[in-house]
Amino acid sequence: MKDRYKVLIIDDEEIVLDSCTEILAGGDCEIATAADGTRGVRRVQEFEPDLVFVDLKMPGLSGLEVLEQIHGIDPTIVTIVITGYATVSSAVEAMKQGAYDFLPKPFTPDEFRLITHRGLEKRKFVLDSIALRREKELLRENFAAIVSHELKSPLGAVQQNLFTLVTELSDTVTEDQLRRLERMKTRIADLMELIHTWLRAISVDIESIKEDFEPVSVACVVSKAVESIEPHAVRKAINVVPSLEEALSPVFGDEGTLTEALVNLGNNSVKYSHMGSEILIKAKEENGHIVISVSDTGVGIPEEELPYIFDDFYRAESGKAAAGGAGLGLAICRRIIETHDGSISAESELGKGSTFIIKLPACESNIDHEPGLDAKFINHSSRR
Amino acid sequence: MSERKRLLMIDDDPDFVEGITSILEGADYAVDVAYNPDDGYKALESDPPDLLLLDIMMGRGAEGIMLARKIRKDPVLREIPVLIITGIREQIAFLFPGEPVHPRFVAVDELVEKPVEPEFLLERVSALLEAAAERKASTN
Repeated sequence: MKDRYKVLIIDDEEIVLDSCTEILAGGDCEIATAADGTRGVRRVQEFEPDLVFVDLKMPGLSGLEVLEQIHGIDPTIVTIVITGYATVSSAVEAMKQGAYDFLPKPFTPDEFRLITHRGLEKRKFVLDSIALRREKELLRENFAAIVSHELKSPLGAVQQNLFTLVTELSDTVTEDQLRRLERMKTRIADLMELIHTWLRAISVDIESIKEDFEPVSVACVVSKAVESIEPHAVRKAINVVPSLEEALSPVFGDEGTLTEALVNLGNNSVKYSHMGSEILIKAKEENGHIVISVSDTGVGIPEEELPYIFDDFYRAESGKAAAGGAGLGLAICRRIIETHDGSISAESELGKGSTFIIKLPACESNIDHEPGLDAKFINHSSRR
Repeated sequence: MSERKRLLMIDDDPDFVEGITSILEGADYAVDVAYNPDDGYKALESDPPDLLLLDIMMGRGAEGIMLARKIRKDPVLREIPVLIITGIREQIAFLFPGEPVHPRFVAVDELVEKPVEPEFLLERVSALLEAAAERKASTN
């Protein structure tokens, strides 16, 4: 914290400047004075005061103009107006301009000391809250990096040695030992994945993606999502079938995160689907909206749980037995879609399957389609 | 019979280093280790290896990146193939999850993620060494 505050007094009456300086002399603040508004504003820039007293009635630049300029230079400087008339209206006007308080002339040394003290308290409070806010931002920005390093490094070292040992011992371990080693690998990999998911949910300022929004091809998003979902689906012999209307309008957004949302939905469906079943990803245009749906014929979601599935850390009771996970996937989806001014919903019937529906505003402007992309799609479902 | 290839590994985590060197030594590579970028650079200069294995997150941040860039500017050292082994992927904000750091992010020959399957590591190392040898043969 600052050990010495700076106070600037701007007043055209020399007697006021002198007496104020005298009153505060010997205290723990540094004092500067200016005899008119123009010089006062210049002094604010050089002196960088914490608190400025401004006489409202001065020749030349008026008190209100001085206030405005000071707040333009640094809005965190605390200002108090001195007014000879002590009229409520001029004080109110000054407070509207951002002055913290007003001091009617004439004033006693004690009154001046008291108001100075209060003004500096206010300044301290302002500085503290700025520092806190900055610290909070910094913490969030750095959180990902710090946690990543502190948690992931040791875990990574363990993981690497496990990988190495499994290979080096492959000739000597029994099948049962190998199974347990593989199990350890999986558990640690899951833990790593969990750290990643939490980091994303906590540290990423989703609003920041808006800066890079551009028209995005829905076909492209679906294509990339299917590519990411397939490796998981294949393990359960699940067929992922995209089905898109032709010539869909693009959506205005961020391709990476939109793909991520769709991948999350797809992987979620894979998780809760039966072996050998099918997941249908449809995209159509309806009343100025692009509607993308992901349907499975899996375990489904109980009706009473449907309202909560997009909440942070929520994982359906019925889902716990079926699959692990942080319970953040759908929450992340919701955040991504809402950042795109869209909506996400789910329909489900227990034992029959679920359908997740993303609705995004369609974009007016057309974009150049990547050649061959649509053609790839027409063939996609018949690929296998 | 070609002589034993010499590799240099720069990584600040001794346990991780052991996990990697054990694989490489098992495949008859000679591996030197530096546990920070400064020692690593000195080792590179004094005795250039056939291949460099480099970590990204060291010291106060992504110092491995700085080192890789420095190596790429050096007319002699730039010939050494660099393999980055990193756990960095999620640290670069809002990259698509599951996608490692973009290869364009740093000029290296190859980037693999921690942890590495031994077989995959050996495959990458030998491929990089072969490519470097071919490059050398074609310039001579």
